[in-house]
Amino acid sequence: MAAGSVVQYSGHKYLRHRLALSIISGKPIKIGNIRSEDKNPGLRDFEISLLRLLEKVTNGTVIEISVTGTAILLKPGIIAGGPLVHDCPLSRSVGYFLEPVIMLAPFAKRPVQLTLRGITTDDHDLSADLIRTVTLPHLQLFGISEGLELRIKKRGAPPGGGGEVQFLCPIVKQVKTLNFVEPGKIKRIRGIAHAVRVNPQFSNRMIEAARSILNRYIPDIYLHSDVYKGEESGKSPGYALSLLAESTTSALFCSEVTSKPGVAPEDIALQATRAILSEISKGGCVDQKHQSLVLLMMVLGSEDVGRCRMSQPTPRTIQFLRDIRDFFGTSFKIVSVDPTKPDSSNLLYSCYGVGHVNANRDIA
Amino acid sequence: LALQRRRTRRDWMKDIYSSNLTPEEIVSQSPSSSSTTSTAGHTKEREHDDDGFFFAKKPSSSSDHPTSESPDSDSDYADKSKPTLNLSELTKWEDEDMLESIRGLFITGVDGP
Repeated sequence: MAAGSVVQYSGHKYLRHRLALSIISGKPIKIGNIRSEDKNPGLRDFEISLLRLLEKVTNGTVIEISVTGTAILLKPGIIAGGPLVHDCPLSRSVGYFLEPVIMLAPFAKRPVQLTLRGITTDDHDLSADLIRTVTLPHLQLFGISEGLELRIKKRGAPPGGGGEVQFLCPIVKQVKTLNFVEPGKIKRIRGIAHAVRVNPQFSNRMIEAARSILNRYIPDIYLHSDVYKGEESGKSPGYALSLLAESTTSALFCSEVTSKPGVAPEDIALQATRAILSEISKGGCVDQKHQSLVLLMMVLGSEDVGRCRMSQPTPRTIQFLRDIRDFFGTSFKIVSVDPTKPDSSNLLYSCYGVGHVNANRDIA
Repeated sequence: LALQRRRTRRDWMKDIYSSNLTPEEIVSQSPSSSSTTSTAGHTKEREHDDDGFFFAKKPSSSSDHPTSESPDSDSDYADKSKPTLNLSELTKWEDEDMLESIRGLFITGVDGP
């Protein structure tokens, strides 16, 4: 919170992780040129809603939005946590709002108990299912585990939403240094097929189709048909298949495809299944969708060298690495895992942790 | 041979931390073509572009990738964590040999020779 350097960015891209980095590091952030060339310039409703949510999660945060909505200035307060409720606009799913909160929550003053209402699964952000089964286990790698939970109380498919999830996150003093370099071999595959306000048989049809490809690899496959009825099934019809594969060293890979008009449940399932094979084939210890979260926790870790083997960075990850350097001054060392094989796409990411200590924490 | 290997290996740190390439440009470079020299050349070329003549301002983030799906080019969805599935890329998994090629990554598969 020391006055001084304001970290500046231009444009609306990567807004979420930049706001999260600002709040964790305590450095003010200024973002200009937010869709200033657009026909409809400025912040969108979901971005404003996210700012409001961050205001609720923290205490003393000052947010200034320019009259045109094309520039914001955020001066971070402390991460307060505690019981919170937020209604998400239907333009984005709860995952959009939850992802930056997951980055902050372990460093709060009090454990976060956040209830979010809105769409629980869509094509743009991690769904409630993936966050529960894949994102949260990634936090466990860093010693954030006791009491970490996401409850899916009601499902809400787009466009009507009507879903509700509750995120519970413990607080930590400091995150553990990661040393995750053995990808292991895939030992089990799990899946969740859910269908709301459509024929419940759709779940089983998706499961059958996914098994037609997956059964060849390993016997330990359990695809669960998750049924939500009545009030709990939200306001709109929809279905989706989420898959996750776990290796002998607990590396996780995931994929998910949601229903689209005019596409049969079998085809949705086949797409999800092929997507997870594609993710598995990339190798490494961390799924591509979770690179940023793992890298962030590595930087915040104790003052020691953290190492993780991953596949090539996605564009989001590349920008995240650059932004981490802006906030924490830390660069990662990124080298090929096996220099004798130039075609190996796996990389070893290592960095020296900044030793971030949760100064907000209530000493009980 | 060792020299050749060194050249084809890619310097991610240099691309990420000391080039002006956009993240999308870095990723779209194929690993083999990314020897450090070509990267530097590319960077220079781009800087030149930026400093040079006027260009029609491209409104959307994904203007570099005209083939990408429409939801991505919609600037409202620029900040999304679930990448749009590349359905044509996934069709390779319809091939039996392709499916067999990753068997070694599962516990039931045997290690290669």
